[in-house]
Amino acid sequence: MRGARAGWLLVLPAVALIAALSLYPVAYGIWLSFYNKHAFFPGEQFIGLANYAAVLADEEFWRSLRLGLVYSLSTIVLQLVIGTGAALLLNEAFPARGLVRAIAIFPYVVPTVVAVIIWKWLLNNQFGLVNYLFSISVSWFGRDWIMVSLILVSVWQFFPFVLLAVLARLQTIAPELYEAAKVDGASAWRRFLHITLPQLAAVLFVVVLLRSIWMFTKFDTPWLLIQGGGAEPYIRTLPVYTFQRTFAYYEAGRGSAMAVLMFLLLVAATAIYMRLWRREEQL
Amino acid sequence: MRTIGLAACLAAALAASPALAQKVIRVWHTETQPNSQEAVKNIARRFEAKHPGVKVEVEALAWGDLEPKIMQSLAAGAPPELSHGQPITCTALQSKGLLLPLDEVVKALGENNIWDQVKRVCRVGNRQYGLVHAAGTSLLIYRKDLAQKLGLKPPKTWADLVANAKAFSTQGMAGITIPGDNLFINILLGELVKANGGLLFDKQNRPQVGSKPVLETLDFIRDLTQYAPKGWEGHGYLETFTNLSAQKAAMMYQGYGRGASLIEKNAPPNLANAEHFDVWVKPVGPSGSEPAAQVDEEPWMLFKGSKNPKEAIEFLKFFYQKENYLEYVQTVPIHLFPITKSLRADKDYQATPMIQRWKSWIEVQEGYLNKDQGKPTLVVDWDDMNSKPYLMEVLGSGILRDMVMDVALEHKPAKDAAARAQKRLEELLKTKGYLK
Repeated sequence: MRGARAGWLLVLPAVALIAALSLYPVAYGIWLSFYNKHAFFPGEQFIGLANYAAVLADEEFWRSLRLGLVYSLSTIVLQLVIGTGAALLLNEAFPARGLVRAIAIFPYVVPTVVAVIIWKWLLNNQFGLVNYLFSISVSWFGRDWIMVSLILVSVWQFFPFVLLAVLARLQTIAPELYEAAKVDGASAWRRFLHITLPQLAAVLFVVVLLRSIWMFTKFDTPWLLIQGGGAEPYIRTLPVYTFQRTFAYYEAGRGSAMAVLMFLLLVAATAIYMRLWRREEQL
Repeated sequence: MRTIGLAACLAAALAASPALAQKVIRVWHTETQPNSQEAVKNIARRFEAKHPGVKVEVEALAWGDLEPKIMQSLAAGAPPELSHGQPITCTALQSKGLLLPLDEVVKALGENNIWDQVKRVCRVGNRQYGLVHAAGTSLLIYRKDLAQKLGLKPPKTWADLVANAKAFSTQGMAGITIPGDNLFINILLGELVKANGGLLFDKQNRPQVGSKPVLETLDFIRDLTQYAPKGWEGHGYLETFTNLSAQKAAMMYQGYGRGASLIEKNAPPNLANAEHFDVWVKPVGPSGSEPAAQVDEEPWMLFKGSKNPKEAIEFLKFFYQKENYLEYVQTVPIHLFPITKSLRADKDYQATPMIQRWKSWIEVQEGYLNKDQGKPTLVVDWDDMNSKPYLMEVLGSGILRDMVMDVALEHKPAKDAAARAQKRLEELLKTKGYLK
């Protein structure tokens, strides 16, 4: 009994820390979502579920949700394809492989603000290098292309995460499996399909889950892209709109309701994903 | 025992040290140009030299960062002593009782010495809650050499301006350049609605975006932006100046005097002068009777919750003293107009080389200011300053920018775009309790 009490006492500081740093902000956010509260000035008024009703009736919320889904889904698919492809290449032996691997992860270590500034220069429609090199006249930050630019910058920045995770797993696949398949006459494509891909499944599951959460809640990249110009309404994803509602409309309550809904959407999507994965595993 | 004695002596010495006894005046301003920042710092150093025991901490902030930072400091209960802010921010904060009056500074400058236009900013009753640091108006800048070549006349009406933009667009460049970001679209819409004799909100705070003058304004923006560079909606303010100075566009609707420095710096040397880049008085809308411009005139605000407001007032008095104020306004002479009549008439000020070079730009701005045709962002009538403390939220929301983009880019009929904006604005104002 005394041992159990001592155990509880020992974990108490950690529990208190988690409660203070994680649970309290979340609980406060949920509490705020039931109030009409200015973002900065004191005083609030309890309004029950009115913030949620207003959010669900707000066409701008649905539009930002749609834009957020377009952004996150396209970036996740492209990161997976490019990241896995790059990992397969970098798993092969060739001269200066170490250097190429180091260069490949470079975008991931560049701070987002630096990455965005670099790309804003490269894609500037009047004086940018991309338009100059390809002799094109694309308005990368205008209405028609700003989402493409955002996806491009995000994929460039985050595909190395997929690369690293997949490469790490590729290096642990037993070479005997490939040798046996070769002896059996399996082509490169069949070896990839029947050995590599199943071996990567577990890591890809985690990668897709993490990247989905991170891309759906991504705020800094779209926000930085529209500073000092940029057709903001066309990349006003849900995190951006939530921020605006809170700090530009000064509606902390409404902003919190949107953040709670965003959280619930992610929980629901994760639960469905996990269930599908389990079913797949059982099969 | 000896250790305790030493610690006590050290504590006493530290307590008596001037560094710890210093009073700090925190000053936030929006003049991010390096020479302007330097000037404010110089003034601060001179003030410190004259006031031992007072330290002035100056911080230059980008326009977009200022308002959120002010709000956050207020929420944290630690506002700076002094800060610039949009006139509508000043009004909003004053209405919440967060500002202290600057009457003592006004008195020191001489009330009659301050331009009347400037005194209207953030003045409630007879008390001045915000004092403009310097004023400058928006300008319609155009390529004079090309206009002469094409035989174009100054546009009197919006239709004339569209025709000029069309004519310029035959010269291998866009007819006009306009920034697409939220702040500048709000500025543009506010001044155009004013130039078209309209209102954005009525006396009962009901949005008026569906009214004839606003709908005409939206149609005009759609017509005009046909001649803007492709992707104009993605251009920031500085980019539009680059378009102009790099000969990618022939006119700039939301230009400012500070752009003269950018032209001198970036345009080809043979073109970098007022003979090639001149200004026209802005035209009038079909339902309007006189031109309108936006006045860029952030007031200094003194915060009630700050620690050293008395010292801050002394600093402001010092700031406006001739030698200090002259140094400040001369850093961007075509944009930072002195707020005092005495300095505007001063020989040293008049002799500023840039003022000599860009005289026509100054004259047009003086015209707007003297005829009261210039108003702060989203302020269509001076009454709006005090009766509409929600303009800050309207600006931040981006609803007006979305309305403009719906028409100019999505080609929605002005009526439909206005109806959507009307609904969103009403909802915003109802949530905040300004509209029943």
